[in-house]
Amino acid sequence: MEKTLKKEKFNSLITGLKDKGYKTIAPKKDNNLITLCEIQEADEIHFDHVQTNNSIKEYFLPKTEKILSYTIEKTKVSIEEPEGFAVKSVVFGSRPCDAASLPIMDKVFNWDCTDKFWIERREAITIVTIACDKCDSYCFCTSVGLAPDAKQGSDVLLTKISDDEYLVETETEKGEGLIKELETVFSEPPSGTPDRQVATVEKKFEIDKVKPWLDENFVHKIWAEFSTKCIGCGACTFVCPTCHCFDIVDECTMSKGDRVKNWDGCQFKMFTLHTSGHNPRSTQDQRWRQRIMHKFKYYVEKFDNILCVGCGRCSRVCPADMNISEMLEIISTDEGQPEPVSKE
Amino acid sequence: MIEALRKKAEELLKNKTVDVVYGYGEGSVPERTRPVFITKPEDVNKLTWNKYCVYNLTTYLKKQESRKLGKPAIVVKGCDAKTITVLIKESQIKREDIYIIGVTCTGIGDPPATKCKACDVNTPLIYDELIGEKIENKEFSFEERYAELDEYEKLSEQEKWDFWQKQFEKCIKCYACSSICPLCFCDRCIVDKNQPQWIDPSAHPRGNLSWNVTRAYHLAGRCINCEECQRVCPADIPLNLLNKKLAKETEKNFKYRSGYNVDDELAMATYKEDDNQDFIK
Repeated sequence: MEKTLKKEKFNSLITGLKDKGYKTIAPKKDNNLITLCEIQEADEIHFDHVQTNNSIKEYFLPKTEKILSYTIEKTKVSIEEPEGFAVKSVVFGSRPCDAASLPIMDKVFNWDCTDKFWIERREAITIVTIACDKCDSYCFCTSVGLAPDAKQGSDVLLTKISDDEYLVETETEKGEGLIKELETVFSEPPSGTPDRQVATVEKKFEIDKVKPWLDENFVHKIWAEFSTKCIGCGACTFVCPTCHCFDIVDECTMSKGDRVKNWDGCQFKMFTLHTSGHNPRSTQDQRWRQRIMHKFKYYVEKFDNILCVGCGRCSRVCPADMNISEMLEIISTDEGQPEPVSKE
Repeated sequence: MIEALRKKAEELLKNKTVDVVYGYGEGSVPERTRPVFITKPEDVNKLTWNKYCVYNLTTYLKKQESRKLGKPAIVVKGCDAKTITVLIKESQIKREDIYIIGVTCTGIGDPPATKCKACDVNTPLIYDELIGEKIENKEFSFEERYAELDEYEKLSEQEKWDFWQKQFEKCIKCYACSSICPLCFCDRCIVDKNQPQWIDPSAHPRGNLSWNVTRAYHLAGRCINCEECQRVCPADIPLNLLNKKLAKETEKNFKYRSGYNVDDELAMATYKEDDNQDFIK
């Protein structure tokens, strides 16, 4: 289904969503951050940015969440499961890369164990994406098979066609349902071919060359050379829309407690520390290698998808200016270079 | 200045005075630099110096990955150099084990970092070689040094509490603040200890409050105000406000400023009978 949406109708759209019982999550500026967060009015929405600081991930996999509560009595343990965590919502104005992360992660959350927290939220949340009309030098969606107007994962895709008008394309039944619910806000599709205002994202590397290199170079000098500057924090993994590792902890007293699921990240040295004291990834280069391997080799082998959407957040946020696309450029051009990266 | 820096680095590496030079190199974008580790004299052209050299490279003195490159020469601004004084005082490094390349600095960041406003270490207080023309270090009054706290201190207790609740709510527990801090050098941080669990690892209000307050407290009387924690925070939490407040209280109560004099006794590790004890209730 194709429609158009005038900017002046954003107010009615957000009010309409509220009336229909949706919570709205949209980019909002607060000081130096542009964050996807709950909004009440259309005026709060920030449009003129490349990317939000946080990713869409936290609305499906929150940074912390209680997965059960328990009480221990003399002869029994009672368990209470949380309810109401999946709230009917619309994420409005996230980027195509963020939306594309969702079907990629569906695979892991529907794998050997189906994660009800992820799945129920996926059902409850509708994704209305706005195609990018600008980008920065950290963006590399086109290098990982996506585009600034990619449709994967979006229920509705909005593309700017003039300063005050968006083309509205529905991609799923859920998206179509949403448009029908708020029919009066939208106008009929334009006649002729609309002028889609979409950013040009430079292609930085050949993704086809990455996995074959990784297959051969688990041991390579470049891992350490590239990552000496890495400080081993979790900023890259936490802002990443596709990093999904978590840790389970019990926050408890002797008789009762909450079991909590928290974001965790492979760049922390504690991540792989065994009870014995042995750490199979004892140095930062091994942890950096893991991040690249997981995204561009292991996940591909297991789920036939690259675990990266090229949003560039990890590189923007890195305290030490580690740049993932630069690493992938090196990898993909290693072969046949006059001075190939030396192997150990 | 860049040429002098490169020449010095080349000489140090050629003469085997050091094995590696920790310095600044070009970054992903012109507005960024990145830490570089130069081990070969022919690579010294990778070193640079400009107003985007924000990093306090002394943090790499605590990391096994950089330390295994051998004896370092380290490029430091005046603020960063104060860290070295603390690290020596706290027995983390020996003065003779590192070579300090001090650079004179008139401010970094764009817009300039808050710490540069009342900078009294344009010329580092400790170095083996100074790059750049020596700048007469300015002196500021107590009030001028802590001027950035003026607005904050006007808040009522309740307002302060509300302010921090709102700030800490944003924390995602990535620990970039402590990973980047050259003075957060514990091999095992209290946050990693779970028997008992002193700090909830969850990024919920209780966990975030206990983490951020503990981090700041462990730096009381130690933090040298490099502002790296605040720079790297992906959640834009004004962490240095906490550090600065603690520095102010330390100076007020113990007449101690961290990182200025290697002969000073550490504020938090020294007992004196005439210490101000009024605040212990």
